[in-house]
Amino acid sequence: MNKRNISRLIVVGMLLALGGVACGPAKQPAPDASSGAKAPAQESLKIGVMPKLIGIPFFKATEVGAKKAGKELGVAVDFDGPVTNDVTLQAQMLETWIAKKYDAIAIAPNAPDAISPVLEKARKRGIKVITWDADALPDARDYFVNQCTAPSVAKAMMDVMAEGVGPDAKYLILTGSLTAANQNIWMDEMEKYRQAKYPNMTNLSETPKASEEDQALATQVTTDCLKAYSDLDGMFAITSVALPGAAEGLRKAGAAERVFLTGLATPNAMRDYVKDGTVKRFVLWNPVDLGYLAVHAAVGLLRGELEPGATAFSAGRLGEVEVAGDQIVLGDPIIFDKDNIDQFDF
Amino acid sequence: MIRRILTSRESILFYVFLAMFAAFSAFTDGFLDWFSLFERTRYWVVPGMIAVPMTFIIATAGIDLSVGSIVALCGIVLGLLYQDAQWPLWAAACAAVVAGVLARAFNGGVSSYLNIPPLVVTLATMALFRGLAMGLSKARSFSDLPEGFRWLSQGDAFSIPAGEAGPVFFPAPLFALIVTVVAGWLLMRRSWVGRFTECIGENEVAARFAAIDARRLKLALYTACGLVCGVGALFNTALYATAKADAATGMELDVIACVVIGGTRISGGQGSVIGSLLGLLIIGILKYGLEMAGVRSHNVVIFVGGLLIVTAVFNEWMASTGGRSRRGERA
Repeated sequence: MNKRNISRLIVVGMLLALGGVACGPAKQPAPDASSGAKAPAQESLKIGVMPKLIGIPFFKATEVGAKKAGKELGVAVDFDGPVTNDVTLQAQMLETWIAKKYDAIAIAPNAPDAISPVLEKARKRGIKVITWDADALPDARDYFVNQCTAPSVAKAMMDVMAEGVGPDAKYLILTGSLTAANQNIWMDEMEKYRQAKYPNMTNLSETPKASEEDQALATQVTTDCLKAYSDLDGMFAITSVALPGAAEGLRKAGAAERVFLTGLATPNAMRDYVKDGTVKRFVLWNPVDLGYLAVHAAVGLLRGELEPGATAFSAGRLGEVEVAGDQIVLGDPIIFDKDNIDQFDF
Repeated sequence: MIRRILTSRESILFYVFLAMFAAFSAFTDGFLDWFSLFERTRYWVVPGMIAVPMTFIIATAGIDLSVGSIVALCGIVLGLLYQDAQWPLWAAACAAVVAGVLARAFNGGVSSYLNIPPLVVTLATMALFRGLAMGLSKARSFSDLPEGFRWLSQGDAFSIPAGEAGPVFFPAPLFALIVTVVAGWLLMRRSWVGRFTECIGENEVAARFAAIDARRLKLALYTACGLVCGVGALFNTALYATAKADAATGMELDVIACVVIGGTRISGGQGSVIGSLLGLLIIGILKYGLEMAGVRSHNVVIFVGGLLIVTAVFNEWMASTGGRSRRGERA
C-alpha cells in the first residue's frame, strides 16, 4: 500500500509538471499583447482574427496582411484558428476569445449558420464582429468584408478572355460542382456581362463542365473537351483547384496555342504554368489585402471611423474602399501574369 | 475506507483536475471568469453524455467509432422531418432519437450476432452513417429552428448572482449531462449491469460460463449508446442552431479520449463513469486554459496528445502494480 501511494504521488507530480509546462507559455503572450497596444495609454485595442483554418497558404497570406494592419494602427492582433476547417472548433475557440475580452473579432466562418449563435453572444458582450472571406448571418456581425463582388470577378475574367482570344471567342466553363454557390453566381454575372459587352462571344456549353474540386478530374475533363470541341478557343476554370488541373490537361495535350485558358487560382499553384506559357493570365483577389482590410475595418468600427450608413471608408494603404450597406468591398481582383507573379507568395 | 477513497483512481484524477485549475487560475490572466467557464461547458455536454455509454462499451473490451456519424445522422433526420416534411418539432425530435437507436442496434447486432469485432463494424458504419447523412441532406444544412429548441443548449437554467461581475448563468444542457452521468454511475456501480459488463470485458468466455448472456447485454449497451447519441444529437443541433451532415466530425475520438483518461481500460474489464466525467473536465480545462494563455491551436493539440500518452502509461502501470486491490478501489 505504502509503495503504491508513493508511486501515485510521483505520477501526480508528473501530471502537475505537465500542468506547469502548460502554463509556461502562458506568460509569454501577456507582454506581447500589451507592449504593442498599450503605447497610447488611453487605447489598448486587442483584435482577434480567425481564418477558416490555419496552415494553408491562402490564410497564411491573410495573416501577413492582418499583422501588417495591426502594426500600422498600433493595435494587438492575434491570428489563430482551428487546424481543420471545422466550424465547431471555431465556435469553441470563439467562446475562449469572448472570455479573453477582445475588443473586436474578425472571422472567416466555415459555416454561416452554425457560427452565428456564438457571434451573437459575442456582440451581446460588447465585442464588435467583422466577417471576412465568407459571411455569417447578417444579425450575427457588424460588417462583412467581401473580397470581391461577383460582377467584378466576372468582368475581370471576361476581359482577360477578350484580350487573349478576341471579342468573338468560343469558350467553355469548368466549374467545381454544379451546385457550388459562389461559382454559379459568378457564371450568371459572366453571362450578363457577355451579353452587354461581348455579344459575339459564344459559350459552347450552357451547362458548365464540373470538376468537383478534384484536380485530377479537372485535367481529365479538360483533355476530353479539347477532343470534343474542335472549334474551342477559350476556357475558364473558375475554382482554385480546377485551374491548375485544367492547365495540366492543356500542357499534356500541347494545346496552349490553340486554347486560351484563364480562371481563378492562387499564384503558387499556377507559377509553373505561367512560366512555361500554358496560362498567360489569370485572376484572383489579394488575400494579403483581405486580412489587412479586415483588421482596418475592425479598428475603424471601434474608433468610430466606420459608422452605419457610410459609403466609403479609408483603409490605410488601400485608400478609400467602397462600403455598400453592411458590406465592405475589397475592390477589383488582381490579374496575374508572367511579369507580376513573382511578387506574390500565397 | 476513507483512505481508499482518497487514493482511488478517480480521486487522483480529481486532484489533477484541481491542480490544473489552480495552475491556470494563478498563471493565466482572465482564466478565472466563472461566466466564461460555464459558457464553455455547453460544448462539453454532448461528448460528455456519449462518454457514459462509451465507458460501458469499452469496459466490455468493445469500441464504438461511429458515434460522431450517428450524431450527424440523427441531426439530419431531425432537420429533414421538421423542415422538409413539416413534422411538428417534438415528433421530428423523437424520430431523430429513434434513428439513433436503430443505427446503433444495427451496429450492435452485426457485431455481437455475426461475431465481427466492433472496431471493424463501427469503422465501417462510421463511414456508412456519415455518407447516409450526406446523401439524405444532399449536403444542405438545416438551420431554421425555433428559439425554444435552441434553448436546449443555449439557454440558462438559472442565474447565480456574483456581485459586480454580473450574474453567472448555469447552462440548461448541463442537467442532461448530470442526469446521464448519475444514471451511468448507478448502473455501473450499483447494479448487476456494471458487474456483468466488467465481467465480459475481463473474460467473455468465463462470463458465458457464469450464465451471463454476453451477446444480449452487449446489444443492449450498444443500443443504449444509440439512445444517448440520438438525444445528444438534439443538443448538438441546438448548440449550433444547425443540423448538417458534417456535424460532430471527430467526436468519437474526443469521447474515447475522455474515457481513456478516466481510467477505463481499453482492453476491457474495468470502467469508471465518474472517471470519464473527470477525463472530460481535464481535457476541457486543459484546452480552454491553453487557449486563454494564448497558445496557438496546433500547440494545444500537442499538449492534449501528451496528456493522453502520460495517462495511458499511468493507467497501464496502475493496472499492473495495483492488481491486488483493483476491485476494491472503486469510488
